[in-house]
Amino acid sequence: MAVCTGCSLLCDDIEVSIDGRRITKTKNLCRKGFGRYRSLSSDRSVPKVDGKQVGIDAAISRAAEMLRDAKRPLLFGWSCSTLEAQRKGIELAKRTKAIIDDTSSICQGEIVEMVIRGEIPTCTLDDVRNYGDTLIFWGCDPSSSHPRHMSRFSYFPRGEKLQRGHEEDRTAFLIDIRASPTAKILSGNFVQIPPGGDADLIDAMLAVLDGKIPRVRDKKAMIAMMNTLKKADTGVIFPGLGLAYSLRGRMDRLKALVDRLNEYTKYNVIPMVGHYNMRGFNQLLFDETGFINRVSFADGIDHGPMYSVVEASKSCDLAMVVGSDPISSLPAGIAKALARVPMITLDPHRTLTTELSRVVIPTALSGIEAGGSALRMDGVRIGLDPIVKSEYPSDEEALSMILGAI
Amino acid sequence: MKVTVVTFRDIFQSEAQELDRFGEEYRKMSAVVFLDKNDASKAGIKDGSNVLLESDNGRVVVVARLSEDSHPGLAFMPNSPWSNRLIPAETDETKIPSFKNISATVRVTSDGVPTVEDLLREMVS
Ligand code: SF4
Repeated sequence: MAVCTGCSLLCDDIEVSIDGRRITKTKNLCRKGFGRYRSLSSDRSVPKVDGKQVGIDAAISRAAEMLRDAKRPLLFGWSCSTLEAQRKGIELAKRTKAIIDDTSSICQGEIVEMVIRGEIPTCTLDDVRNYGDTLIFWGCDPSSSHPRHMSRFSYFPRGEKLQRGHEEDRTAFLIDIRASPTAKILSGNFVQIPPGGDADLIDAMLAVLDGKIPRVRDKKAMIAMMNTLKKADTGVIFPGLGLAYSLRGRMDRLKALVDRLNEYTKYNVIPMVGHYNMRGFNQLLFDETGFINRVSFADGIDHGPMYSVVEASKSCDLAMVVGSDPISSLPAGIAKALARVPMITLDPHRTLTTELSRVVIPTALSGIEAGGSALRMDGVRIGLDPIVKSEYPSDEEALSMILGAI
Repeated sequence: MKVTVVTFRDIFQSEAQELDRFGEEYRKMSAVVFLDKNDASKAGIKDGSNVLLESDNGRVVVVARLSEDSHPGLAFMPNSPWSNRLIPAETDETKIPSFKNISATVRVTSDGVPTVEDLLREMVS
């Protein structure tokens, strides 16, 4: 069995037949995961320095030189690397007195941090399969972003305590702006809100729990939903990017709701982390520094919004990007600032960021060409075994080589 | 016409991104905006029209698609370097960009949809 690194579910039941480096047959992959496996042979990156193709060693030594000379380097990415590579990355950040940040800084960081700090209760996806009878998908569309979430863990499967699955034993609500593919599945329980309407909805939900009339259009539906939520045996909330962006800076509202629901019954929270090992990086950096992202090692350990990729892109004098494509994913104005900084990029594929980088270091595709381990969205550790050989080093090996050459 | 742009993730677009972010397939899946049917017809926008979206932060030409469901006033775009042209570079004190709630205008244009290479060229200009 192989593992898919297409999203943070890290599905570990993947069957793959290979002929040399060619994948001939796969089983159990979703469309997104299949894309990930097929990317093995599409648009791979090659070692480059200043736009010219070079050997991998030349690219590594140029990267080491640039890092040695930098005064204020930013090391960014990390959510598509193994725990072993991330550990090397943190070591490199310390050695070069760098700012280190990951993609959680522009997405789910605030919620993941509350989970890692134990400020809101959480559980594993296996617990969800076995006991989660009342679910809230909030600002997410698992059918598109984590295509096997509902079938492997949350909605459709039978569990130890839930032998009749979604037909009778489970109730799932979806709160979102858009009538997404998941909304079609959960059509009877789809609560549609306007952009930015999440905090108002939480207020309305809390009002019902306090026995007050909620200030929403469909009061009856809201009261019925809250009655169902109160009657749960084990409730689970899955916050997605929609909630993360809408409630940014106000996550205490989410916590207030979770705390209040926990007065009735057990409610856990599992953030719908996107990239396959973002949770791993956040945990590692937290264990090391007490912070999940946005850390500077320039003078001991410092943390704050000025060390976010958004701010550091404007103030750093070198950026090393590992397994991420910030030029594509950041707002254009911030990407433009980053594009002005000399960049070193480690990535298995050609990306917008590799195109603008002074140094490109191609790496093996983790899970397919490189092994290691990663933390699933619920924090469960999953081992990765390579199934084909790569001519290029893993992130971990490339980072070790850079560390050795500095 | 004024709209609120909300970005989202689409599985077909994610698959195309895994395979080739410089490819035509990825551009086709990314450089689109889904509009409410009534909104679009009032603004003279047809399914497949090229439209110019403009926010305080930037502008981009993409292809309009008309949604099956009604969502007046909202325009949905897959999260991509095209939608990122509209997202503010300025953030509040959280330093988390606002990807899902952008005021913009949309109108028909005869301009073409930029390629990834066009976007990159502009990025370094
Ligand atoms: S759900 Fe995620 S991990 Fe599972 S096969 Fe699909 S992309 Fe891969």
